[in-house]
Amino acid sequence: METKGTFVAYLAATDIGMRFDTFEALKGVSFTAERGEFITLLGPSGCGKTTLLNIVAGFLKPTRGALTLDGADLLPIPPERRDSAMCFQSYALFPHLSVRDNIAFGPRQKGLTATEVAKRVNDLLAQMALDAHAGKLPNALSGGQQQRVALARALAVGPGLVLFDEPLSNLDAKLRDQVRTEIRALQRRVGFTALYVTHDQAEALALSDRILLLNNGVIEQEGAPRDIYFKPRTRFVADFIGAANLHAGIAEAGALATPFGPLTGAGVATGAVTICWRPEMARLGPAGVNSLAGIVSSSAFQGAYTDVFVDAAGQTVRLQLPGAAHFAPGEALSFHVPPSAITTVADTAS
Amino acid sequence: MSAKILQRLLVAVLVAVMLVWLIVPFAMAILWSMVDPSTAWTYPDLLPPKLSFERWWIMWQTTSLPTAILNSYSLAPIAALLTALLAAPTAFAFGRLDFPGKGLAQILILVPLVMPGFVVAIFFASILLQMGFFARYPAILFGHVILYLPYAVRILSVSFGQVRTDVVNAARDLGASPWQVFRVAYLPVLRPGIFAAFLVVFILSLEEFALAFVVGSPDFTTIPTILYSYLGYNFIRPNAAVVALILVVPNVLLMLGLERLLQSANPASVSGKG
Ligand SMILES: Nc1ncnc2c1ncn2[C@@H]1O[C@H](COP(=O)(O)OP(=O)(O)O)[C@@H](O)[C@H]1O
Ligand SMILES: [Mg+2]
Repeated sequence: METKGTFVAYLAATDIGMRFDTFEALKGVSFTAERGEFITLLGPSGCGKTTLLNIVAGFLKPTRGALTLDGADLLPIPPERRDSAMCFQSYALFPHLSVRDNIAFGPRQKGLTATEVAKRVNDLLAQMALDAHAGKLPNALSGGQQQRVALARALAVGPGLVLFDEPLSNLDAKLRDQVRTEIRALQRRVGFTALYVTHDQAEALALSDRILLLNNGVIEQEGAPRDIYFKPRTRFVADFIGAANLHAGIAEAGALATPFGPLTGAGVATGAVTICWRPEMARLGPAGVNSLAGIVSSSAFQGAYTDVFVDAAGQTVRLQLPGAAHFAPGEALSFHVPPSAITTVADTAS
Repeated sequence: MSAKILQRLLVAVLVAVMLVWLIVPFAMAILWSMVDPSTAWTYPDLLPPKLSFERWWIMWQTTSLPTAILNSYSLAPIAALLTALLAAPTAFAFGRLDFPGKGLAQILILVPLVMPGFVVAIFFASILLQMGFFARYPAILFGHVILYLPYAVRILSVSFGQVRTDVVNAARDLGASPWQVFRVAYLPVLRPGIFAAFLVVFILSLEEFALAFVVGSPDFTTIPTILYSYLGYNFIRPNAAVVALILVVPNVLLMLGLERLLQSANPASVSGKG
């Protein structure tokens, strides 16, 4: 992406650190976002996602590091003058203002005329399917509707950067998918840059141009969803994103010595490694390389696939097999893993 | 079933308590204030033999009651307003900031409340004099403000604590000026607390006797000092009843007004459903 010369990313965070008393919530986080990019901060609860978002919004001052937006230093600028808008996890709607007035709040602060404000608000009410609720107070709305009001309120100021803090976490599964699709479509259409925080890997994979995987206040891996999923660099990343089979092994000249015997993989490391492959990459039946066999210990039908746990060479291996075939506990099972599906990961980030 | 009976029982007890504590004294005060001076109300008459507003008229004409009313009913709102204003910064700190020693400070500020009123009044009056407060109206006003600050701080701290940080942040995030942030994120939550603090100080100031008596005697009168003057040496029950009603009726009306204010839709203090 980066071109030669004086290229500066739209949003650039450099070595951001945040300390609360003795606790270091962020330990030197650096990342960039291009204009119009959809970046997701993914990580377990407590890893520092909200802290980082609050720093970008201006509610918190980092204890160290630099932050620029469009090339300008962001840190001395108070939140009310930053070109960003936050969509709060708690919605943070103004409880005594109607839906319409909530959405109109931002544009009014910007000093737009009444007709301009009304036009903007009406457009957003229509886009978010909130027309019927414009006069209601937030308390009278369902969680999904409040969520959409929060989104509309943030977008109403026409920000260059929208910060989402787990915006879907309070919605039920169906609504979550629907609002997720709406957010992405809207982002593409309006063209704002999105910094999106979630602890839900499925959300991150579905939405993002790029994922930043945050753990314990550091970015463990950064990359496109497919790279993060298929080429996790650490045990944590492999485990956090989807299910993974992780086993100790020794790599030598492209061959892997594992508890299952020799395997062929795509890993490049040598020495003691952790091998990793995704459960859905296993195929039933033996093959020329990477054939394994074991005894089914349990299986669960999941609709689109069947989750099968197999005891093989003293290890528990997880397979996700398509189709409706039934696997009874105690049944012998042979399967293979394509070499391209086997990678190696580091045990810790370094 | 039994729950319903229990509920009825509770309501019945409540009504009985109300009757004994509120309505009976109130009715008695009204009856006593309307005893005509010409005929005394004595045993075994169940009701005064002759009712009139004569006592009210006499009190109004011959005592300093009009001045006392003016004093009391101007002191109370001014004291209430000043107290609420002066309490706000401390209440903000208690409700919204974290600082070392906060817990201790919150307890210390309530300590003055355990002092008996007269003890405070006697020595507070001497401090006022030493500070050069010879004008009695401002001295009593100042005294009331100082005396009732703890109440206002306590009430407003709770209100400030209910202001949601995320809503404050949201307002700033959307470009609001400090005044707009106050209006949209603070005021709706603080409003009941402001009214409550105002009303509590208003009523306390109105009913305050000790300081007003010590500082004001002999000739600066408030409604309570007049009332007490009818209770001691020259005890005249009908006259005391008149003054008592003048003191109490506005308070009761204010209370009802506050009740209504607090009940009126205040979504800011109601937690959202899902
Ligand atoms: N104001 C604060 N004071 C002390 N610790 C804090 C504060 N805010 C957050 N933390 C701590 O920092 C860590 C990261 O918090 P947060 O950014 O909210 O995590 P996430 O959003 O990823 O769940 C947590 O361990 C949390 O307890
Ligand atoms: Mg969070």
